[in-house]
Amino acid sequence: MPHASMLRQITDFANRANPYPIYEELRRTPVLHEEDGPYVISSYYDIEALLHDPRISSDAANQTAAGDDELSQSEGTGLPPSFIRLDPPEHDRLRRIANSSFGPPHRPRRIESMRGELGEIVTGLIDGLGDTRQIDLVDQFAYPFPVTVICRLLGVPREDEPRFRAWVDPIVAGLDPDTRTSAESERVAQEARLQLGLYLNGLVEQRAREPRDDMLSDLVNSRGPDGAMTTMEVLSTAVLLLIAGHETTVNLITNGMLTLLRHPEILERLRNDPGLSVRIVEELLRYEPPVQIVPQRTCITDIELRGITIPKGSRIWLMLAAGNRDPERFKDPERFDPDREDIQHLGFGSGIHSCFGAPLARLETQIALAELARRLENPRLVEDPPPYRQNAVLRGPRHLNIAFDNLR
Amino acid sequence: MRLVVDLNKCQGYAQCAFLAPDVFAMHGEESLVYNPHAPEEQRERLARAVAACPVQAITADGLDDSRDGGEASDAR
Repeated sequence: MPHASMLRQITDFANRANPYPIYEELRRTPVLHEEDGPYVISSYYDIEALLHDPRISSDAANQTAAGDDELSQSEGTGLPPSFIRLDPPEHDRLRRIANSSFGPPHRPRRIESMRGELGEIVTGLIDGLGDTRQIDLVDQFAYPFPVTVICRLLGVPREDEPRFRAWVDPIVAGLDPDTRTSAESERVAQEARLQLGLYLNGLVEQRAREPRDDMLSDLVNSRGPDGAMTTMEVLSTAVLLLIAGHETTVNLITNGMLTLLRHPEILERLRNDPGLSVRIVEELLRYEPPVQIVPQRTCITDIELRGITIPKGSRIWLMLAAGNRDPERFKDPERFDPDREDIQHLGFGSGIHSCFGAPLARLETQIALAELARRLENPRLVEDPPPYRQNAVLRGPRHLNIAFDNLR
Repeated sequence: MRLVVDLNKCQGYAQCAFLAPDVFAMHGEESLVYNPHAPEEQRERLARAVAACPVQAITADGLDDSRDGGEASDAR
């Protein structure tokens, strides 16, 4: 039984720092099924096709019916499911309303207009590092950045940001399987979810009465053909943006700096040309994607793939990070190369659930990496590989200690 | 700068309209409208939009000199 342990190897923490040899082995059996486990799909073209296949469901209820697996994760918010865990038509309705407060055609400049503000937040965080020659990039930069950004986007008043952050930290920490085991941390996260919910509820009511130019106001006052979101739907959308936009962005920035420090010649080019950050971020999304696996899909009818019948109700894991290094799709896939002509990655997924926050994540990471490259003088890794978080799905370092000579 | 969007490839992800809102706009939920002769001051935004297109449907003339020739200094 040559593949009996493949699932175990994917989730085994010992492989977290470098899962790519496992993925390479996985691609030799592009549709892998062990015992009563999920069907594991690892080739680029198969993943791409299934992400667009209406027979593949994201609905949490279908997943529950299929039974839990090692990577199942409930949203655990006590709110109705957000659109990431819904199928059409409910998904479409909620995503359309959310999008009308976030992007084109209704709000084409919402993100673009945050560019200056994002730069200021990044500058403030780097200035705030103080007189030091070593930092933990995760705790001191990558972690606080996205929370501040989401506050500004939703319209959380500046003076409330510290309170907001104090609730978000234990919630986000509770998402990692590592910390989930402690009853005390679970209780703290539960309490924080409640407080955050109450706070957002108050803010939503306030914005319903007096709308401002922010996302919460738009969400609660949407009057399009889809109607308005209920208060509960606004809350679960806001929490989705917060949770889904957090760890992923932290990991993209941290994986980015780690990769650049392992490729000093590219870091040097970025220092001289901030515009290169655009290609670097796209290549990072291929080479070290923050979401490695989409584990929460089920098929709602029998489907046939490479001559194998995947029976109705089966759970499916889409191995995005394996597809991103599929030699059938990419030339020299194991090489980090921002100059490659054709970076068409699965880092943001594809199809109807393709990453909602992608334009924001791109901008945040482009600005963050360009500024870090510009301001850290002679940066180097203190340990390689760095310590990783437990999570195999949202994979990234828990700490990234960087030493440098000076702050420019 | 001249640009063309392959509308057979375009899937309406709207990433370009986020990144270069003065060049690309969404008309309704899915159809894309764009200016095929983007002004020079849009160069940087256009480059971001080209790179961000998930299906690489956008081709633009004259962006490459900012990357290949003469390093970054003459790019802006």
